[in-house]
Amino acid sequence: MKFGTMISDITASLFKRPVTEKYPLVRYPVPERLRGHLRWDPEKCTGCGLCAMDCPANAIEMIVIDKKAKRFVMRYHVDRCTFCAQCVFSCRQGCLEMSNDTWELAALNKEPFNVFFGEKDDIECILAGSTAQDT
Amino acid sequence: MTNRKSENMQANGKSERFIVPIGPQHPALKEPEHFRFTVEGEIVTNAYVRLGYAHRGIEKATEQRNWVQTNYLLERICGICSHIHSTAYCLGVEKLAGVQVPPRALAIRTLVAELERIHSHMLWLGVAAHEAGFDTLFMYSWRDRETVMDILEQLTGNRVNYSANLLGGVKYDIDQEIADSILEGIDFLEERTRHYLEIVTTDALFLQRTRGVGVMTKTQAEVMRAVGPTARASGVTRDIRVEAPYAAYPQFPARITLATNGDVEARFVVRIEELFESHRLIREILANLPESDLRARFPRRIKPGETIIRVEAPRGELFYFIKSNGSDKPERVKVRTPTICNMSSVVKLAVGHQLADIPLILAGIDPCFSCNDRGVIITRRQNKPDLWTWEQLRQYGIGYYDGNNK
Repeated sequence: MKFGTMISDITASLFKRPVTEKYPLVRYPVPERLRGHLRWDPEKCTGCGLCAMDCPANAIEMIVIDKKAKRFVMRYHVDRCTFCAQCVFSCRQGCLEMSNDTWELAALNKEPFNVFFGEKDDIECILAGSTAQDT
Repeated sequence: MTNRKSENMQANGKSERFIVPIGPQHPALKEPEHFRFTVEGEIVTNAYVRLGYAHRGIEKATEQRNWVQTNYLLERICGICSHIHSTAYCLGVEKLAGVQVPPRALAIRTLVAELERIHSHMLWLGVAAHEAGFDTLFMYSWRDRETVMDILEQLTGNRVNYSANLLGGVKYDIDQEIADSILEGIDFLEERTRHYLEIVTTDALFLQRTRGVGVMTKTQAEVMRAVGPTARASGVTRDIRVEAPYAAYPQFPARITLATNGDVEARFVVRIEELFESHRLIREILANLPESDLRARFPRRIKPGETIIRVEAPRGELFYFIKSNGSDKPERVKVRTPTICNMSSVVKLAVGHQLADIPLILAGIDPCFSCNDRGVIITRRQNKPDLWTWEQLRQYGIGYYDGNNK
């Protein structure tokens, strides 16, 4: 039976500096394996759609414009993504990876959450189509 | 004051019996559950629990997702023991599909499960100390818990919901750098854990809150089907890692930790001693990590069949039933979490204690309320189908909160 069993911890802490991370002012290095924003390599992608099929949050859409000419666009909903990296491991071509430097993803509007991966012309084609539908 | 009031009450011929409702907001932990304690003076004479405030329809939702997606859904049943849910599901599905998982993957799964056990038990140590009014222990144990959280982040990339499991293996390997930092962290944690064991067994004020409180005898624990550290604190030898070793436990056998007193102090001692066992297992796994691939090929469709799988979560036995009908989606996934098994002991043990001891008795089983909330719909009408679709369940939920279905 003792009293004040944690006094030694408290007195030791009195002489230590605060450990609070001053986050927005000082950015500490993130772990190497941190899963952040998805990256896509258009060269290797065959448009098989396995990533979209396995995504538990339906964050990936594969929009096919022309199947024969292999014209497709990958739409990535950043706000739905749970950053589980299943798509990275489902991809047989190794064209997906999760970056460990882009992880500050908060935004005040919805636009940054809607990312299109693909050829520039194809993306414009998709965007033109969606605006035509909206109007 | 209480005595005078009590005399007045008796003089008036009225019984001094109150019902104290606790919850659904924040009964002991920050999760919704409702308790009703009948008190006579300070003493609880009857207890009632109402579960189900956090029912999310996860079991039903698995039927709408393919085998791969279900893994991540089930990982989110619990925020604290997420990995063990995923491990149970993966082991079950792999058994059903007849896929042989590489030994290194099984060892890494077990390693992450033990790291998770350390993080869960240290979290519990803090919460239970907080319930006993010992906030210094709460703060320091949570500070030290950051060490294991950092290890998990370094190993898998996330502090919670690690997503370390894939069907057929694991995602992340362990290299020398990570192994060294795990060992360094474990050395620090072992020293701190020894200090905490000394505190919870010697601190005079703390012992007044824990020693002899909520005593559950071995017979009671067996009758009430208690599981996990709650049962082991009463001397019941029940640990799935020892009884039915899964994953890499056949190669790295775990030793059971037991106490006999069955009170809250014994639950502290059992959980803290389990930490030492986890430290030992982690060191052993790192020293003898088998060399092999990390992933085996996994089929998209699984042949019809059903299986059960039991694993030892930090809170006790976790049970999964998985049924396949040959498609790429599960036909039925049934989950039984340890909290539901231990909840009856809270209701039983609360009787006879002071109201002030109730939070500690409740925290003593390490409850995880949103884990245990499941629904069963029994319809007695013959012509109506018993199975609901996901959309029907969703509409029922919306209607329930609008007040239409109550």
